Amino acid sequence: MKRRVAIGAFLVLALAYPLVLRGSYPLGIGIITGALAAGTVGFVLLLGYAHQLALGQAGFCMVGGYASAILCVQHKWDPLLALVVGAVAAMLLAWAIAGPILKLRGFVLAMASLALHLILVVVALEASFTGGALGTYGLPKFALLGVPLSSDLAYYYVVWTIVLAFVVIGLAIDGSRIGRALKAIAASETAALSAGIDIRRYKVQMFVLSAGMASVCGSLAVHYLRAMDPNVFGFAFSLNFITAVIVGGLETVWGGVVGAALVTGLRELLRGLSLPLWEGVIMGALTVLVLIAFRRGFVGFLAALYDRMAGGEAPARVLVSEPDTAALAPRGKPAELVLAGVSRAFGNLRAVSNVGFSVAAGSITALIGPNGAGKTTLFNLVCGYEPLDAGSVSYDGQRIEQRLPNQIAALGIGRTFQNLQLFGNLSVLDNVMCGRHRFVEREAANRERARAALAFVGLRNAEALAPGALAFGHQRLVEMARALALEPRLLLLDEPASGLNDAETERLAELVLRIAALGVTVLLVEHDMRLVMGLADHLVVMHHGEKLADGAPDDVRREPAVIDAYLGIEEHAAA
Amino acid sequence: MDLSVFVQLLLPGLTTGCVYALVALGFVLCANVSGVVNFAQGEYVMLGGVIGASLLAQGMPLAAAIAGATAAGALLGALQERLTLAPVRAAPDFIQITITLGVAVVLRGVALIAFGKDPLSMPGFSGDGVFEVAGAVLPVQSLWVWGASAALLAAVFLFLMHSDAGRAVRACAINRQAARLMGVDAERLTLLVFALAGASAALAGVVVTPIVLANWDAGIAYGLKGFVGAILGNFRSPVVALAGGLGIGVLESFAAGYVSSGYKDAIVYGVLLAYLLARGGVFVFGRAALLSR
Repeated sequence: MKRRVAIGAFLVLALAYPLVLRGSYPLGIGIITGALAAGTVGFVLLLGYAHQLALGQAGFCMVGGYASAILCVQHKWDPLLALVVGAVAAMLLAWAIAGPILKLRGFVLAMASLALHLILVVVALEASFTGGALGTYGLPKFALLGVPLSSDLAYYYVVWTIVLAFVVIGLAIDGSRIGRALKAIAASETAALSAGIDIRRYKVQMFVLSAGMASVCGSLAVHYLRAMDPNVFGFAFSLNFITAVIVGGLETVWGGVVGAALVTGLRELLRGLSLPLWEGVIMGALTVLVLIAFRRGFVGFLAALYDRMAGGEAPARVLVSEPDTAALAPRGKPAELVLAGVSRAFGNLRAVSNVGFSVAAGSITALIGPNGAGKTTLFNLVCGYEPLDAGSVSYDGQRIEQRLPNQIAALGIGRTFQNLQLFGNLSVLDNVMCGRHRFVEREAANRERARAALAFVGLRNAEALAPGALAFGHQRLVEMARALALEPRLLLLDEPASGLNDAETERLAELVLRIAALGVTVLLVEHDMRLVMGLADHLVVMHHGEKLADGAPDDVRREPAVIDAYLGIEEHAAA
Repeated sequence: MDLSVFVQLLLPGLTTGCVYALVALGFVLCANVSGVVNFAQGEYVMLGGVIGASLLAQGMPLAAAIAGATAAGALLGALQERLTLAPVRAAPDFIQITITLGVAVVLRGVALIAFGKDPLSMPGFSGDGVFEVAGAVLPVQSLWVWGASAALLAAVFLFLMHSDAGRAVRACAINRQAARLMGVDAERLTLLVFALAGASAALAGVVVTPIVLANWDAGIAYGLKGFVGAILGNFRSPVVALAGGLGIGVLESFAAGYVSSGYKDAIVYGVLLAYLLARGGVFVFGRAALLSR
């Protein structure tokens, strides 16, 4: 519904603008706004959704601008063809550098992309094919299928049709599992990997897509300006992208469109007031203010307003439902996990040293040991978050120690984290749906499965809430539901009871038993000995990175070495 | 290779390298204490230059102009921290980093409005004379740059090694969380470090202005080149950061002299980009949760 209102408003405004505000000046603003919006719509997906701070978007605008200028002026190409060639070139360039550049995060990514842009500026200035500092002049008017657009009004509608097409692409991504995956990446890359999301792939895709759209932005702008030189798309233009997306709103594709209009409108206003120099200060201050005080931006503000006027449903009061064991059908065979000679050192510290044990299919195995024994490191080694120095990990006979975390998750190994890792920017249901990422199904089908997982853990009524609105114990259940949505055959739980009260711990124990009954092998790290002794049919004890003992709980607790290292102390402390 | 040409390129490279080194040091100090890499670091160099030059042009004595520019850097650094970072301490890295970017834009804009588009110049502190070393001719001001940088570095290192606050900064560099648990007042320390970084960058900006002029849009280049130094030291080692900053200055000078002055920036940034791409993914700093592969 909200989406229909937004599309309707967009169409009405875009169609009516040049008819209401007549004259070449407002028309020019409309065209420039459209050109910028073509670029910022793509940038929302990269900066707003995935939180990748790329600071060199204007570099890709340069690629498009020069492609159009050089091909149309010097080689008399058709403008539309030149635009497409420019976009393809920008996407190829983005693709070529995306792999390594997107491994960089935050500030480093910003610096690397800025460096790329500044290199392109230098090349544009120094090279002869670009026309050097003077640039290339005399671009023809844009043409469609060889027919030149004689009026600026026609060009305006062409530009905004392209914007509409980009918005439709953006909305399609937004509504798909990819849109959700991008937001998951922004919140926690670690957790996104555990849900089987290939973070590298989606970052590259969005980087390449936003580069292509930025290039189209460049082409569209220079066909209006009729000239291209190295200063057209300078550092300030990259900043326009960032300000537009942040002020417009990071959360939706519409933020890019609205932001482009706000940025262009503000600039024209300042020119009208004869204060053009103030542009930087005001844009920068707006960016800072929005980030500090209202992170959802202008469109977020509108959305909140709409929700309030529409009255929205009040969230259900009772968040906890009776756990519904029947919600999830028992699966196929549980999996077996075999570790042999697993080692990992950090500098001189041997965090895990030559550890080998088996987790029998269908068992509940507990990994115990004092703090610093290497339990969490071992989890990270099994799940691919840390590389092994030596040893092997076999999952149902398949070696997995060379695989990436998301590949391991996609094999059906679910995990939870000692420090809760939920996606705070997604609803509870969407958090769980991220766990469905490896199943390329219709969204409706995935939604039903995710709801079933929530019902199974007893959170049927919480799906529309933000995870932060839940009690801590319930947040743990959300994480469990996300791992269950993956349909794991092996589930790794890292201290699932930490932070829970007695009643919650009891419910957790029951939940673990019900999960095992689904046909899921469970390996858990836990400190709560009562929980471990009541649940586990197999114990592995670690101490100082080495395996101390391994066997049935009653045998292990009688071993002198174990009592010395761990159980004895624990029981004395409890006494 | 002609020795005098080599020296003629090396020494000016070291002069600008001093500025990059101080910027790099500011990056390292701020990043370790606050967890935020401050995008506005280079802008303080620019501000030092334009403020110092215009104070002098207004008839202030040289020493007062230098002191005024340095104090302005300290004040603005502290203001940036209080007004824009303290309120969002708990926010995700992405938000904090982007805020420092916004602040950089504001500082550039303020400089543009207050001091205008044209580059500002300043006479050399002890005249505009030149001196000769091994066949190379250098402005006397170079000595001021080297001397001021050396004095600043010495002061920073004395501070780090021999004061309580300095020890706390070093503790934060090793483990910020643990340092806080041991009673380090991170709020006060963060403010101090931002003021210090602002002041040293601004001072560097003033002393280098007689050689390179001060321009409102020079901040990005200072920031980006200083950043190279910081990243060579992995945002941990101040010494490597310094060496990296000096090295970038020399590289830039050689690129201009031996290759092409037009392409010198492209070469420096190309080296930065190649280095980042080659080492991609292994940087551990800021609050980013990093995977090891």
